[in-house]
Amino acid sequence: MANVKGAAVNRNAVDEGKAADWVPGSERQTAVDPMKMFHELPREKQFITGSEAARESMRRANIDIAIAYPITPQSESMQQAGYLYDEGYIKEYYRGEEEIGTFSAISGASRAGVRSLTATSGPGLMRGLEAISSWPGARTPIIMLNMCRVINTPLAIQPDNIEMSFMLNTGILMLHAENQQDFYDYPLAAIMASEQVDVTLPAVVSTDGFFVTHARGPVSITPEEYKLPPRDGWRSAVPAMDNENPPARLSRDAPIQKSNFISYHMHSSWQQEVFAAVGRSAKYFDKYLGGLVEVVNPGADDFIIASGCAVSQAREAVRQEGEKGRKVGLVKVKTIRPFPTEEILEAVKDAKRILIPEFNQAGWLHKEVCSVLYGRCKAIIKDGPRVFGGMTMPTEMILEWLEEFRKEVK
Amino acid sequence: MLIQDNLFLTRSNPSGLGGTQFLYRVKNYGLSAISGPQEEISMIHWEVEVIKFSNPETAEYEVCHSTELADKTLKFYTDKSLNEFLQKAFQYFEELGSLEKILPQES
Repeated sequence: MANVKGAAVNRNAVDEGKAADWVPGSERQTAVDPMKMFHELPREKQFITGSEAARESMRRANIDIAIAYPITPQSESMQQAGYLYDEGYIKEYYRGEEEIGTFSAISGASRAGVRSLTATSGPGLMRGLEAISSWPGARTPIIMLNMCRVINTPLAIQPDNIEMSFMLNTGILMLHAENQQDFYDYPLAAIMASEQVDVTLPAVVSTDGFFVTHARGPVSITPEEYKLPPRDGWRSAVPAMDNENPPARLSRDAPIQKSNFISYHMHSSWQQEVFAAVGRSAKYFDKYLGGLVEVVNPGADDFIIASGCAVSQAREAVRQEGEKGRKVGLVKVKTIRPFPTEEILEAVKDAKRILIPEFNQAGWLHKEVCSVLYGRCKAIIKDGPRVFGGMTMPTEMILEWLEEFRKEVK
Repeated sequence: MLIQDNLFLTRSNPSGLGGTQFLYRVKNYGLSAISGPQEEISMIHWEVEVIKFSNPETAEYEVCHSTELADKTLKFYTDKSLNEFLQKAFQYFEELGSLEKILPQES
């Protein structure tokens, strides 16, 4: 029996029905500098689904372990991850028993110092939120793919990104992918930012389920023979743990959990450090993604601020307004955490009207934008249009809102 | 991947249903090809309309079911089969465009 050459775990090629001289895909790849991967390597354009884009991203991400529990619309992507495991691009992969177990297990893997990936959708994320909320404080640079879906009754499996609002104040890094291209690029950038020694935080890349994951779009991808450099678990805000020989009783009697003034003070400091680390991640996203925001038509009177696939609909509305000779600006918010406060302020400093279309009932992006622009911008901000529960947002809807807005605010 | 010849515009499906629309243009006619989301990847297909542009410079158009190419919405299940149709359609639109130039002179 031949062991898999070069694999970090004891996979047995012959037992898996492979040739004795089988070499895992990741061992045939060359690790490259992230900046080279993001900005210099040649790219080939493919027309693939968001789930397939996620697969190609994972193929190049040098992932040590993936753990997930299936839920629509995430299942398609993690099925693709199964193919990557079979091909040897992911070293270890298994299905957790449910989301709390999955997200707890992935935390243990990340604490051990290996690059760890999981994925979920709406209700699955809500079920596992207790574990997810513990990741930032544990300083585990886990990467999670989140294919947004309705969470509330009546049951639906359509896109609605309300679940993102539940993660806003956990200390997790949050990116919102507009389309299939972003769902290829953002996970790679998120991994590298989250593993920086002055960051060491988990990151979630969300996209709107079905509209992106189950539809094809143009995606420019780098050659598959290149991958990200591996995670160095010792180069981290909290060093990796040898789980075979843990240094102490891990959490139950940690000083931070004793009920006295010192422990509260320690906890407070710890949280402050987590949120400071979120802020420090901005410089990495800035260089990896070419900015935390994308601005179209700077200097316009009318602006649309959006994230996720609301950007795509807004982009088309901006184009159609341009055909009619009207200049409408667009701010695409790439990173929700860190929130690009100064970048948005700079983009809309001369705007008169700001529209914020969203795929959720709560209008969490509207609240975020209002909280940072309050008192610092003269524009009137309108919260809408909003669609939710799987509703669509036709371009005409945004155009009608713009027209009404212009009548309301001269 | 679909051929890029005569590609006038690529955009997200403006209906808001997700997916991508390719607009092809040859003179005043063209094709709209939309690939939308499906519950299974294997079910993904192209929905194609013959269209007539209503403005020489913008992407405004109306669905046209009165040409010899198609009197209904067409479905294609592979890029290859759609690309073959596109090539034939481009040639047809060239001829149609030329004929339409002649027609007003005859009347």
